[in-house]
Amino acid sequence: MSSDDIIGSDASLNAEQLRTFVTILDMIIPASDDGRFPSAADMDVLSYIVKTEPELLDTIRIELDRLNAVSKDLHGMVFGDADGIARQGLLDEVRGVEPQFLGGLALQTVTLYYQDDRVMEAIGLEARPPFPGGYEVVAGDLSLLDPVRARGQVYRDVES
Amino acid sequence: MSDDVVDVLIIGAGASGAAVAWSLAETKMRILCLEQGGWMNPSEYASTKRDWEILQNTDFAISPNFRDRAADYPINDDESPIAVANFNAVGGSTILYSAHFPRMHPSDFRVNSLDGVADDWPIDYPTLEPFFAENDRNIGVSGLAGDPAYPYHEPPLPPVPLGLSGETMARGFNKMGWHWWPSDTAIITKPYEGREQCANLGPCNAGCAQGAKSSADITYWPMALRQGVELRTDCRVREVTVDENDMATGAIYFDADGVEHHQRAEVVIMACNGVGTPRLLLNSMSSNFPNGLANRSGLVGKNLMFHPWGYVSGVFDQPLASHFGPQGSCMLSQEFYETDPNRDFVRGYNMQITRGAGPVATARNGMAQGKIPWGAGHHQAFETYYDRTIHMGLCCEDLPEEHNAVTLDPKLTDSNGIPAPKVTYTLSENSRKMLDHGLEKGSEVMKAAGAWDIQSHGPIRMAGWHLLGTARMGKDASHSVVNEWGRSHDVRNLFIVDGSVFVTSGAVNPTTTLQAVALYIADAMKRNLANLFD
Repeated sequence: MSSDDIIGSDASLNAEQLRTFVTILDMIIPASDDGRFPSAADMDVLSYIVKTEPELLDTIRIELDRLNAVSKDLHGMVFGDADGIARQGLLDEVRGVEPQFLGGLALQTVTLYYQDDRVMEAIGLEARPPFPGGYEVVAGDLSLLDPVRARGQVYRDVES
Repeated sequence: MSDDVVDVLIIGAGASGAAVAWSLAETKMRILCLEQGGWMNPSEYASTKRDWEILQNTDFAISPNFRDRAADYPINDDESPIAVANFNAVGGSTILYSAHFPRMHPSDFRVNSLDGVADDWPIDYPTLEPFFAENDRNIGVSGLAGDPAYPYHEPPLPPVPLGLSGETMARGFNKMGWHWWPSDTAIITKPYEGREQCANLGPCNAGCAQGAKSSADITYWPMALRQGVELRTDCRVREVTVDENDMATGAIYFDADGVEHHQRAEVVIMACNGVGTPRLLLNSMSSNFPNGLANRSGLVGKNLMFHPWGYVSGVFDQPLASHFGPQGSCMLSQEFYETDPNRDFVRGYNMQITRGAGPVATARNGMAQGKIPWGAGHHQAFETYYDRTIHMGLCCEDLPEEHNAVTLDPKLTDSNGIPAPKVTYTLSENSRKMLDHGLEKGSEVMKAAGAWDIQSHGPIRMAGWHLLGTARMGKDASHSVVNEWGRSHDVRNLFIVDGSVFVTSGAVNPTTTLQAVALYIADAMKRNLANLFD
């Protein structure tokens, strides 16, 4: 096993798996054209999965290998090196055959993505938990109640 | 010392047990409460963490089966379309409740007289009114006086903010000519009794780190403890014991180390909620009570009522900052609360406008529903939904039916080996029609408010927050478990003060009524102290 075979502390993907994994992340959430939003490929999704759903790892390895094998058969290169149209076609096929793999990966990816400082700031949030700072919420216009008041009682009277 | 005899033993430190403990404390009786959970640490609540949206569905999940904390007991809800939600700690399920605090209506106590279904309560709204008000003052309730859907009452604190989303819905309701009003909410909007006001954190349903949500652990318990009530945590009761004269003698419980104790008591008060109380009574079998304690009527565990819950969401063009503010509390509409003979169902429902989803939930739900795609369109689609979505909960009145029941599961047990409860429940035809009506009307008002993408469905499975009716009150011992002031017909020193005693469910979140009933029962006990067991 070479040093290329290991990434992260617990999660191991070989170089081909990793290339394809990162490519898929970028296909799930690419960077925005205006540069406000980063790509999901810039985030450590693999470590997040190891932490939150480690049982998904084996499936990821198996499906990445399968994807790469099919890609080599059809296009002569691993998925991560194929062109965009070829990759999309392969992914659509995998989605139909093995929806849990991509569904699970996408779910974990967006979960991590929308906790990222850069993303929170891009959607107008401070990169912090709700407490202790809290938030301002407008009180609202209570004169909107005028027609409700004008209509009067709407509950049933009951004799005691 | 656990072998001492206490005057009053309360089982359960949630909304009702805490209120009763506080009320009885002035008698200077020796009062002990046993609670199977511990104290919560607000600094560990979800809103203190960056991954608060995940924690809402994991560490603070509403299902004890999924959450599986040490204090939790499993519940077999396989035979129910609605799963049970609860929390086990000092404060009970108020740790996770939304604190939406509308009272039941006067008509809710006279369902049989008015509509010819179910039964009337043996008590009425005017009887409970002083206890509603007392409870509001004790815990700090916010709201706006003058709601024409209720007899006049004045919440002690101003209402929670409507926000842009509330205003938007208000205009929609006005367009329809329907009732709406800022919700009564057990969340303080001004500093109150040493607590800081709401900071609009959002995820109230995963514990309030601010301490603004009036959960029982930070309202009633500090007051009760100051007056000398003893609270023993991490103590799970296995059974209530009785003597040959049908008098309760105390309770057998396991402490945190699994050591069994027998706590003797002159009076036992059950406050374990509509599932926990019948479970404990059914587990308390003896020669005099072979079918479970206080169950000569055969009604312990029967007539379980949830509130079948519907859900409507609408997406709007404009940003609404919709995920800020008290998550479950904004405004309500009781346009369809009372029975209307022109409809094909009796009774009615409450529309509860809640806040929108945070960014993680928006993305996850949007992707799962195919609305937020992978790839180049992702960012634009996300911004289309994020903070532009308003949610509505439909809280439908559930009528009592004996076949909806809590029993003991023949196999499932908790970590102490105590048989676990099993819930068997079928949605009635009346509830189904009511839900359908609500989903249709909810969609109509969303459209009137300007929503362009409207979704509705129900009943929601993970919505069994309200556990009611399984030890109902009544004057006739053959048709009820406790009398009109909460005392068991069969065991004269055994009282029940939680949602089990509800005769009908109303169509609102029950905690304010539940606490008012608990305070009313405690008051009746104090007034009858000289001849409590006669």
